[in-house]
Amino acid sequence: MNRAKGRRAVLVVSMLSPWLIGFAALTAYPIVISAYYSFTRYSFGTVDPQWIGWDNYTYLFTKDPNFGHALRNTLFLAAVGLPLRMLVAFVTAGLLATKRRGAGIYRVLYYLPTLVPSVAGALLFTFLLQPEYGPVNRLLHALGVSHPPLWFFDPNWSKPALTLISIWSVGDTMLILLAGLLNVPRTLYEAVELDGGGPWTKFRHVTFPMVSPVTFFILVTGLIGVLQSFDEAYISSSAAAGPQAPPGAPEGSLLTYPLMQLNAFQHNRVGYASAMAWVMFLMTLVLTALVTVSRKRWVHTSAGEA
Amino acid sequence: MRSRRFLVAVAEHSVLIGFAAIFTLPLLYLVLQSLMPMDQVKTAALWPRDFQWSNYREVFVRIPLLRYLGNTLLICLVSTIGTVVSTVPVAYAFAQLRWRGRGAVFALVLSTMMLPYQVTFMPQYEIFSKLGWIGTFLPLTVPSFFADAFSIFLLRQFFLTLPGDVLDAARIDGAGEWRLLLRMAAPMAKPAIMSVALFQFLFAWSDFFGPLLYLNDENHYTLAVGIQQFQSQAGKLGEGNLTLAACALFVLPIMVLFLFAQKAFIEGVNLSGVKG
Repeated sequence: MNRAKGRRAVLVVSMLSPWLIGFAALTAYPIVISAYYSFTRYSFGTVDPQWIGWDNYTYLFTKDPNFGHALRNTLFLAAVGLPLRMLVAFVTAGLLATKRRGAGIYRVLYYLPTLVPSVAGALLFTFLLQPEYGPVNRLLHALGVSHPPLWFFDPNWSKPALTLISIWSVGDTMLILLAGLLNVPRTLYEAVELDGGGPWTKFRHVTFPMVSPVTFFILVTGLIGVLQSFDEAYISSSAAAGPQAPPGAPEGSLLTYPLMQLNAFQHNRVGYASAMAWVMFLMTLVLTALVTVSRKRWVHTSAGEA
Repeated sequence: MRSRRFLVAVAEHSVLIGFAAIFTLPLLYLVLQSLMPMDQVKTAALWPRDFQWSNYREVFVRIPLLRYLGNTLLICLVSTIGTVVSTVPVAYAFAQLRWRGRGAVFALVLSTMMLPYQVTFMPQYEIFSKLGWIGTFLPLTVPSFFADAFSIFLLRQFFLTLPGDVLDAARIDGAGEWRLLLRMAAPMAKPAIMSVALFQFLFAWSDFFGPLLYLNDENHYTLAVGIQQFQSQAGKLGEGNLTLAACALFVLPIMVLFLFAQKAFIEGVNLSGVKG
């Protein structure tokens, strides 16, 4: 019996071994050691880790002018960009769910931008949103907007421009939501119709509760994703402002939190960048926990699901 | 009543077409701009004065695209193989084997998806640097042999749906689990494995942060970093037609791949979201 148990354990461990090794070396160890580094002054190859207590954190919170800035930029994307993106996902998925014929081709067309790599997407949008000759502003001009936004060239409009890219590539979120919508039993809608309910009643009492678990899932993954957003901000910022401009140009308006952190790393301030990483980590945990706590208020769980 | 239904259908279709335009016109713009003569790019023109296909020859001269393509493909292929061979047994152990602590360990796997890469990339860089791997493709390929959480999750979802009685019958016949996995479960899970492979391939193809961090020699650049660097050096949106031609070439293979493997893509997205 014990022998069989032992063989069983060997089997399980051997099957899990790729993940176990990777987890230990590339996840668990980095978490622990970066927590330590965050309390040190440390540069690869030049300065060995020296314990400096909370100094990195105090400097980050009280002295670093970029911190508040980058935090605000990232929170703007989470608070404004993410809800807009989810709204578009809801609208497009809803349209595709009600449409029976020809939905396939629309589904493909809506999904296509998701496949575009961040480099191509960000570069394409810097051209689309070019203030003078870009087609978006030409269109706005034609519609009678005399001073259309300068987008990536204006600190007030660069983040909305970034949001446009994320909305454009909403396809994967839309598909997840669509699958959820198509899973709603039609009998529930028929029941509402029998009771004389209209579209709003259907949405409020059937659709929304039924897809709320999926909505919760895309909200949490979307939140984690947006807090880590780097590529588009980095690429469009340097495309519009040129390679010599400080990171996050114009005027640091595209300096997202991850951009700021990479910048510290590239200046070999490893200890300081580790402190930044931990602040980001804790922020992610707190925000995700808040969403999860709020879940009881709006996520519907039927007996079948946990 | 009938005409009202007709009007609703027209309205619905207009909205659907409107969205289709928003999602696809940027891609059309990309192609049209890439075909313009240089002096037409910085104008409001939408249609090329003449279709300058030579831009596509020129871009290969200006940017070593073939070299970048080779680098990218190498990373894509190796990391895709790594993901598949490492994820299949792990996902199987979570879905089909019963062992103590399975639920807790799986929760740990899932929780790593919440971990921001900002926390881990610096110690990883340090490890790779001590191994002498900076500037090589190894940091971009070797980690994929250690089963990532998202792929495990996706494959496990599929392995859970396998018919238990068929596997049990084989177990009673004395087949070992590895044998079951390789002979029965993995072949049955082919669609899900295809999805995992596609997602990894696409990730490696598009990845910008990894190559930006680890590749310092121009000869090792991938398409993503190579094209970004070219544009950044051209500066201020100069040479837009060539940049966008390079982007078009960068996007095209994925679109083709998608057309051929559409089902696997959509299956994969559904698998990742249906159960939350």
